[in-house]
Amino acid sequence: MIIKKRKSKFKIIWSMRKWSYDYINWRLVTAYPGGMKYAIKHPIELIKDLWNYLSWCQKVDQDIS
Amino acid sequence: MLKTKIRNIEFNSPIIAASGTFGYGDEVKKFVDLSKLGCVITKSITLEPRIGNPSPRIFESESGMINAIGLANLGVKKFCIEKLPDLRNINTNFLISIAGSNFDDYVKVMEEIENCDGSHVGYEINISCPNVKKGGMEFGVDHKVTLKLTSELRKLTDKILIIKLSPNVTSIEKIALAAQDGGADAVSAVNTFVGMGINYRTGKMTLSTKFGGVSGPPIKPLALAKIHKIYNEVEIPIIGMGGISNFEDVVEFIRVGSTMVQVGTLNYRDPSLISKMNDKLKNFLTINKINNISELIGNYCE
Repeated sequence: MIIKKRKSKFKIIWSMRKWSYDYINWRLVTAYPGGMKYAIKHPIELIKDLWNYLSWCQKVDQDIS
Repeated sequence: MLKTKIRNIEFNSPIIAASGTFGYGDEVKKFVDLSKLGCVITKSITLEPRIGNPSPRIFESESGMINAIGLANLGVKKFCIEKLPDLRNINTNFLISIAGSNFDDYVKVMEEIENCDGSHVGYEINISCPNVKKGGMEFGVDHKVTLKLTSELRKLTDKILIIKLSPNVTSIEKIALAAQDGGADAVSAVNTFVGMGINYRTGKMTLSTKFGGVSGPPIKPLALAKIHKIYNEVEIPIIGMGGISNFEDVVEFIRVGSTMVQVGTLNYRDPSLISKMNDKLKNFLTINKINNISELIGNYCE
């Protein structure tokens, strides 16, 4: 049985360091009506969503590795 | 080896970045090697700007995703001024995705873009977005309306015309045939499946719109079946999509009848994964002494 090690959330964030500002902005526009402005006004929602997203990334990485 | 053709347009690879998962195309050019992609499809463009549905509108489910973004986009006028000129500099082909709330919307958006002298090679017509209450789906579920819309849009452009099909229909083959009869150069299949999510503790729906479109690996077997059904009925190329997350999936989609494939949800993890997938696909063809990816189209055994 192969046990795949789960990548840490920090490593996942680090892997995104090359993402451009335009791309991150577009991702926020996709996630929220009002994009970055909405995200800044709703920091708790943003943190919760970011946490869920990183957990999802961990699952995806395990599946595709 | 990976070069693929639809009508007279040659693509570097059969792998396409799906609409709504790669921005408008220019946002990723600084950190993704776009020359390895066959094509990028822009976010769907509508006649008027749209901010989309209220939050929450994306929910990450088990290895997949449910979204109800609601076609958030700049609108065609701003797109032509702000995005279209920049897209001249991206290092691959690009297609423009068009969506609408009614018949005239599609026609007006295409007319507007045709007058803008863009370097796009064609259009993908989104008649299948399940997230807009008024539009999208009613085109995607009616073969007569699909035929009429495709014929009308065909008159407006010589560029590639691709109709994006909904899987949420009784007979997807019938809609694909209508698109073919209307003059489409290809069909892309399938868009997201209608789904929903709920929190078992609180009973709260996970999306503000209740229903959304399910994408990602969980829909792959469903998508393969829909594509194969279309392959048995139509002559135009099929651009397969639905949960592709590695090069093995690409080969499977091509074997059931796709000429090209689109990768969507995986781009939400990392948009650069798609170019790595391309390298692995090339490697697979070399090892198996396959001269061109087109040899695998419809190459299956029962």
